[in-house]
Amino acid sequence: MTLSELYSSLGESLNEVLERLRMESRIAKYLKLFLSDPSFEELKNAFASQDAKTAFRAAHTLKGVAANLGLNKLSASSSELTEDLRPLAFTVNSQALFDKVEADYIAAVEGIKQLE
Amino acid sequence: MEEKRPLILIVDDVALNRTLLSDVLCDKYDILEAKNGNEALLLLREKTSEISLVLLDMVMPKKDGMEVLAIMNKNGWINEIPVIMISVENSHSLIEGAYSLGVTDFIGRPFDEMILLNRVSNTIRLYAKQKHLSDLVLSQIYEKTRNNSMMVTMLSHIVEFRNGESGMHVLHINTITEMLLHELLHRSKKYKINKDDIGIISTASSMHDIGKITIPDEILNKPGKLTPEEFNIMKGHSLNGSLMLNSVPFGKDEPLMKYAYEICRWHHERYDGRGYPDGLKGDEIPIAAQIVSIADVYDALTSERCYKKAFTHEKALEMIHNNECGVFNPLLLDCLDAIADKLVASLQTFDWNKQADKDFFYIADTMIKDQKHPIYNQAFRQFINERKKSNFFESMLNDIIFEYTYSPSIMKLSTNAAKKLNLPKTIIEDEKKGSLNIENDNWQKIKEVLYKQSSSKDETIHVNMDLTIDGNKVPCKVIVLQIWNKTQNEPPVLTSAYGHIEVLH
Repeated sequence: MTLSELYSSLGESLNEVLERLRMESRIAKYLKLFLSDPSFEELKNAFASQDAKTAFRAAHTLKGVAANLGLNKLSASSSELTEDLRPLAFTVNSQALFDKVEADYIAAVEGIKQLE
Repeated sequence: MEEKRPLILIVDDVALNRTLLSDVLCDKYDILEAKNGNEALLLLREKTSEISLVLLDMVMPKKDGMEVLAIMNKNGWINEIPVIMISVENSHSLIEGAYSLGVTDFIGRPFDEMILLNRVSNTIRLYAKQKHLSDLVLSQIYEKTRNNSMMVTMLSHIVEFRNGESGMHVLHINTITEMLLHELLHRSKKYKINKDDIGIISTASSMHDIGKITIPDEILNKPGKLTPEEFNIMKGHSLNGSLMLNSVPFGKDEPLMKYAYEICRWHHERYDGRGYPDGLKGDEIPIAAQIVSIADVYDALTSERCYKKAFTHEKALEMIHNNECGVFNPLLLDCLDAIADKLVASLQTFDWNKQADKDFFYIADTMIKDQKHPIYNQAFRQFINERKKSNFFESMLNDIIFEYTYSPSIMKLSTNAAKKLNLPKTIIEDEKKGSLNIENDNWQKIKEVLYKQSSSKDETIHVNMDLTIDGNKVPCKVIVLQIWNKTQNEPPVLTSAYGHIEVLH
């Protein structure tokens, strides 16, 4: 899969990212780095251990990282979760919001793994 | 000369974010990276004058961006190092909070490379210009003061040379006067002089004998004893000196002129009222003149003159105490005793460059306290603190020494100290936790001394205690010099401390 195919398969726009980050090679490099970024893992663990503070920070980080890479769906769902967790406590919605983040994250990761 | 590339500190807990930023910036800038607030503060402290810009993330573990900003404010770094905050955060109140803590700019994620580059280069340019101007002013002042001290030294030497003396006399008087003043201020608030006057009075002391140019050569350089008539003419030098100064058509209200006049006229008065030219008694004699008088006598005694050999330091002190060469204020005699040991060393290792720099430091000290134009020059503050530090360490070679900053809490030990005390060379503490990260008896005890409050006057604290040195419990003397940062309108802040541990046998 090419970079452009990846972005369209995720329903995102490569052009928008290119405008900001200039080079395809650079974007590809960041996407690879994104695979080893621990934020999602931290978020997941924080949910498992009911640590709302860490969960908030991890969601916040994920939101930023995803936004930079033009993974806007993931950034949007992370953003919703971030706002939900901002008081540093879980709410009735938290789990559902997390599930959405997880789905978006997995979709992005699966796609990136198929990059040439 | 090739322009040095500006250094940018990138602070972000996410490796990907740091890479993203440094890729964009590394063509034009040198990059330092920090993974959290603590690391950032450590780098800021070490490279305050080198870092041109900080790109700061807001949400991080171990001190977030706001905490870093708060500490940068506390230490005055924010006035010198611009901070651009980069965050995906879009809460209005948090961004407003960042601005109120002094960030220059706020860039939201996702950021546009072009906009980031332009904001970074604009910010650095603006601050560089400001810093360049402040450096320029400081170096001019430095040059000027040095030249001024040199002028005063040269002029007073002219008088001394005619006297057939080496000219060291004036420099010695300068040093002794300064040391006596420090000691006097330390002991008593009786006299209307303060720290700012020390530099001026020391400079003015150089002129104590300018009146001697009115004394004929045959009398001035007569090897034998003077006749009563000759001695009367000789005595005229103090009054003549003051009259010469009085006839200078300007500067009457300047402190330097005022002190020089007092010193010229009254440095041969005696505390019992039997001196000349006016027979002033006790504290009728201005304190500046009293001090120079005792400095003059001490140096005259310990130097060789055309009519006498040099006495030893001990003999000179004894003669002064026995009123063999005048009668002095008992308080000043106490001061002289207190500085006696240091005095010998200072006069032996006299260095004109150091002396000239001193005047600059007095000015610098005053400038830092200036209400209207405070200087925010970190390099400059460091320069001053370094000086205090090196003075303290000068006599302590190869010993157990350490250096501590209060906020952030960082302890640095000399290699020898770390080994003997069984502590790491660098100890960084997390303020938030409030508890000690290191379980070590030595460290706990030393910390207690560090947090003893001296009276915000850069004084040393001496504490005797048992410490574990090389695994054995032994009695030690811990000496700590606390450095206070004085800012206008605010109480002094304890910034750093330098310490020395002496093993008592």
